[in-house]
Amino acid sequence: MKETSKYPSWFGSLRLDENNELEDTVLHIKDIQFLAETLKDYIFTKPKMNFTGRNLSEEAIKCGFVNSKEEYYSLLHQVSVKTVKLQLAEMEQSDLKIIQAINALDDIDKSANELSERLAEWYGIHFPEIELFGDELAYFISKHGVRKNIGANDNYFNLAESSMGISFNDEDEDIITEYSSNILSLYATRRKIELYIHEQMDIVAPNLSNIAGYLLGARMISIAGSLEKLAKMPSSTIQVIGANKALFKHLRSKATSPKHGIIFNHPTIKGSSWRHRGKISRSLASTVSIAARVDFYSSETVLNDDLAQQLEAKIKSIKKL
Amino acid sequence: MKLSPVSQGVYKIQNGTSALVTYNSVKGKNVYGEKLIEFHGDEYREWNPKRSKVAAMLMKKFKIPLVKSSKVLYLGASTGTTVSHISDIVTEGIVYSVEFSPRPMRELIKLCEMRSNIIPLLADASNPSSYSAIVENVDIIIQDIAQPNQAEIALLNSDKYLKPGGYLVLSIKARSIDTVENPKKIYKSEMNKLLNSSSCCFELVKKSELAPYHKDHLAIVAKAES
Repeated sequence: MKETSKYPSWFGSLRLDENNELEDTVLHIKDIQFLAETLKDYIFTKPKMNFTGRNLSEEAIKCGFVNSKEEYYSLLHQVSVKTVKLQLAEMEQSDLKIIQAINALDDIDKSANELSERLAEWYGIHFPEIELFGDELAYFISKHGVRKNIGANDNYFNLAESSMGISFNDEDEDIITEYSSNILSLYATRRKIELYIHEQMDIVAPNLSNIAGYLLGARMISIAGSLEKLAKMPSSTIQVIGANKALFKHLRSKATSPKHGIIFNHPTIKGSSWRHRGKISRSLASTVSIAARVDFYSSETVLNDDLAQQLEAKIKSIKKL
Repeated sequence: MKLSPVSQGVYKIQNGTSALVTYNSVKGKNVYGEKLIEFHGDEYREWNPKRSKVAAMLMKKFKIPLVKSSKVLYLGASTGTTVSHISDIVTEGIVYSVEFSPRPMRELIKLCEMRSNIIPLLADASNPSSYSAIVENVDIIIQDIAQPNQAEIALLNSDKYLKPGGYLVLSIKARSIDTVENPKKIYKSEMNKLLNSSSCCFELVKKSELAPYHKDHLAIVAKAES
C-alpha cells in the first residue's frame, strides 16, 4: 500500500506520497475570514509531525487554488493579517490590565507629588503659615480659596488673620482653586485605581495578594511581565527582583549579593531588624512563588490560608534566632 | 547631494554627512520617525545603524545577499523597524515576519497593512513547525532574537526553511546569553554551535562585531551548503 502523509497548509490540506511529492489536495473555501480562523487554530496547536518547508506558492497554483503568484501572495497577506488580528483579540490576559493599572498608579504618584509641590509654593506666597501638604492642602484650597474666606470658627482663622502673605485678588483665586481641584481629582482617581487593583488582584491572584499584599503583588506581576512569568520564576529570583543594579554588581564584581528587591516593601521585612531581613525575605520569596504558582496553575483560584500560616510560623522561628 | 548604491536596494546619500537609505515603497509615510529624504523626485528613508542591526552590518561592509525577488524569513520582527527597510529592498519578494510578543505585534500589524510584501506571524520561533502552513522555503533567514538559545532557534529554522545555498544572517547578543561572561568566550561557543551542528552545514562568510553601533553584538553571515 502506498504511504501518504498530510501536510496542512493555509489554503488546504496537501496529501503527499512517499517521495514528498504533491499527490492530491483538499482545498479550503476561498474566504478570508474562514481561512484566517482555520489558520489561527493551527498556529496555536503544536503540530505532532515535523514538517519541512515546501514551495507552497507553486503548489497552490498547481492545484488550482489561485491563478498566479500575485494572487497567491495578496491573498496570503490578507489572510495572515486577519489571522494575527484574531489571535491578538483572543489573548485573554487579565494580568495585563493589572500591570497597566499599577503603572498608572506609580505615574499618578509621581505627577501628583510634583503638582502638589507647585501648589504649596504657589499658595505659600499668599498664606505661608499654613502647614498642609498634598491632598490636604488641595482640599483646603478648593474649599476655602483665599485667606479672607476662612470662617471665624475655623482652626486656621487666627493664622489667616495675622498672615504675612501677600493678598490674592479674584483672578488669582480662580486660577489657583482650579489648579488645586485638578490635583484633588487626581488623588481621587488614585484611590479608585487602588481599589480597582485590589478587586482585580482578588480575582486573578488571590493567594499572591494574601501573602504579598495586593499592591506589592501587582508590582511583582508588573516587573515579571505577567503572572505566568512570575509563576515560572525561581524564588531566588523573586527575592531580588527590583534590585537589578545590586544584583549585577554582585555578579560582575565582588560586591555582596542583595538580600531583597521590591519584596523589601513588605511590612514583615521592613519592620524587622536587619539581622533577620535576609532570612525573612528568603522565606517570603519562596512563599510568594508558591502562591503565584497556585494562582496561575490551579484550575480554580481560591484562597488558601495554609500558606499564610506557614509563613507566619516560619517568620516567628526566624525572629527567635 | 550624491546617491551611491551600497547593495541592491540600499544606497548611501551624501549631503555633508552620509546616511544609509532605502527607497521608500510607501511614498510619504515614515514608519518609526525616521527621516524622509527627497532625491531627484524619488523618496528615500534613512536607515539608522544604531537602531537596526542589519543596517549596522551594512555599515560594517557586510554583503547581505538581499535582492528584489528574495524570500526572507525574519525572526524577531518586533515593531518592524528593520522589517520595513527589508520590505523596501525586496519589492518583488516576500518577508515572513515572526514575532511572539503581542505588544510589538500590534505595531507590526499596522505596518503590514501598508506593505503587502510583509506576512505577519504571531508565533514562537523556537517552534518552527507551527508556521509551516504559511512559510515557504526562503533564500535568506534573518534572526534578531535576543534569547539565550538563539543559535538553536536559528538552526531549527534553517533546517526547515532555508533553501540549499541560502544565507543565514544573525547577530549574537552576548549580554542576553550570559550577563557576566566575557563576550569573546560567548561568541566562540555560539559560533561553534552554529557551524558544527549535525542538522545543517554552514560555511562562514563573514563575522564582525557591531561596535560602535551596538555593544557586545557579533554579526554573522553564513551560507548553507548547496
